[in-house]
Amino acid sequence: MSPSADFQPKIQVFEPHRASLPPVIPYLKEFWNRRSFAIELSRFADKAEYLESKLGKVWLVLNPLLLAMVYFLLVTVIRGGNTKTNGLTTLAHILIGLFTFYFASNCITAGAQSITTGGRLILNQAFPRALLPFSSSISAFQTFLPTIPVYIFVIIIGKIFFPATQVPRLAISFLWVPLIVALVGITGFGLALLFATMNVYFRDTNKLLSYVMRIWLYLSPILWLPSMLHGWHRIALYANPLGPVLSATSNIWIEGKTPTLSEFIGAFAWAAGSLLIGGYFFVSRERDFAVRI
Amino acid sequence: MPEELAVRIEDLSIKYKINVDTKRTLKNAVMRASKGEKVRMRTVEAIKHLTLDVPHGSVLGIVGANGAGKSTLMRSIAGILPPTEGRIIVNGKISTLLALGVGFNPALSGRDNIILGGLASGLSKDEIEAKTEAIAEFAALPDGFIDMPVRTYSSGMYGRVAFSVAVNMTPDILLLDEALSAGDASFKEKSFQRMRELCSEARTIIIVSHALATINELCDSAIWLHKGSMLAKDKPEAIVDQYLKFLDVGTLPSNFEDM
Repeated sequence: MSPSADFQPKIQVFEPHRASLPPVIPYLKEFWNRRSFAIELSRFADKAEYLESKLGKVWLVLNPLLLAMVYFLLVTVIRGGNTKTNGLTTLAHILIGLFTFYFASNCITAGAQSITTGGRLILNQAFPRALLPFSSSISAFQTFLPTIPVYIFVIIIGKIFFPATQVPRLAISFLWVPLIVALVGITGFGLALLFATMNVYFRDTNKLLSYVMRIWLYLSPILWLPSMLHGWHRIALYANPLGPVLSATSNIWIEGKTPTLSEFIGAFAWAAGSLLIGGYFFVSRERDFAVRI
Repeated sequence: MPEELAVRIEDLSIKYKINVDTKRTLKNAVMRASKGEKVRMRTVEAIKHLTLDVPHGSVLGIVGANGAGKSTLMRSIAGILPPTEGRIIVNGKISTLLALGVGFNPALSGRDNIILGGLASGLSKDEIEAKTEAIAEFAALPDGFIDMPVRTYSSGMYGRVAFSVAVNMTPDILLLDEALSAGDASFKEKSFQRMRELCSEARTIIIVSHALATINELCDSAIWLHKGSMLAKDKPEAIVDQYLKFLDVGTLPSNFEDM
């Protein structure tokens, strides 16, 4: 019999592979064609979460906000309470740093679980598996967005009480924010791909990840200022995948300056590196996921 | 590949390794490495050198005991599991309904899950939204259950929604793995009707079922899988007969003994 009336020939050939990349261009095309699946999946996941607990989403914003307060107290206490001059600046630095860090952190932790929890979808449908961590990154971004107005609100309130502190008003440097946020998202997504793959092979990766994220937070320029590092100590800033972007974030939001060239280079290098390495690791093994879930 | 074929399977073998020892955790991996132990792996040969052509517009039934490789074969045709050897060529859009049910999110309504299922199988948002009403109507759940969370569903209702999504994707090739056992008699009649419709439109259906009457009634050919090999391909009645004899006596027909 010849094919049906609305039949559009779509020949797919499935052949053996050995931990190597499938054809990259068709993969990316398929990924792009199905992007609305990732967007809707994230939307529906949020909806499901909201239906389960109405406060769920609010907590995701409240959590870094409250943490920022705790860390702020901690930092000012350690410093001996010298808060009159730069207390608000410190708070602003911690706040925007934590919010940005949590964006990356949410991308990574949610993305790392997306494959192991997406079992049924993976066993039932063939689609580029990278869509699942991508969907988690979209959710993380949507959690990140409302933290910006929260930040601005806190600063405006702070300005009323401490009018002398110099946290910049809108400056031209803020035009860099979308680019920096995108770089944070790409780095987070790339690392999510890496950890999602690891989590398929080693199911306790997630537990480990919660400690890694905590240590990572302390190693990042959030509770301390990038300018506190001198000489070869600055390596610590650039060896950290989120170091350059967080440093750039502080530069924009707190100093009102354009990020430095080395921050740009560092941020781009980490974003590209995470995406390429994470992407290779993930895509070359994703056809193995269905047997290991 | 010839135009009249929907699926061509050439000398397909699928093997995978399973870890028989402990849970796969980093902790265990480090512990083992420190003791110099190796992981005990077992290789499962799920499919062995299988060659098969499925023409457009045909309904193929697959029978076989548990562990014969039926679900593995279905997954490999869907492109979910890669072949270890050989290759599979598929010509047309595939819709699947495999053993574990679709990836329903239990907190969401049936309607939301229909949209999600459609997007997962590659439809655009507009396409699936245009179909949602028809799919919900086909599932015909009682008392507005379609707008209630899926976790409130009975397994029959769950199966009805899943089946309705799969058959209404207008697939060129529909893969059904034990999907027909969920509904009641009236829904079964309706699903048979729908499948015959799909066939008359020259769409291809591959069915795995332990309900041999279903195989007899719907299929125009059938194969018998046994431990990963295809023992026979014939008219469904003949295959079902042989298979029933095998289930009764427990031995393979004499002409298969050398396999």
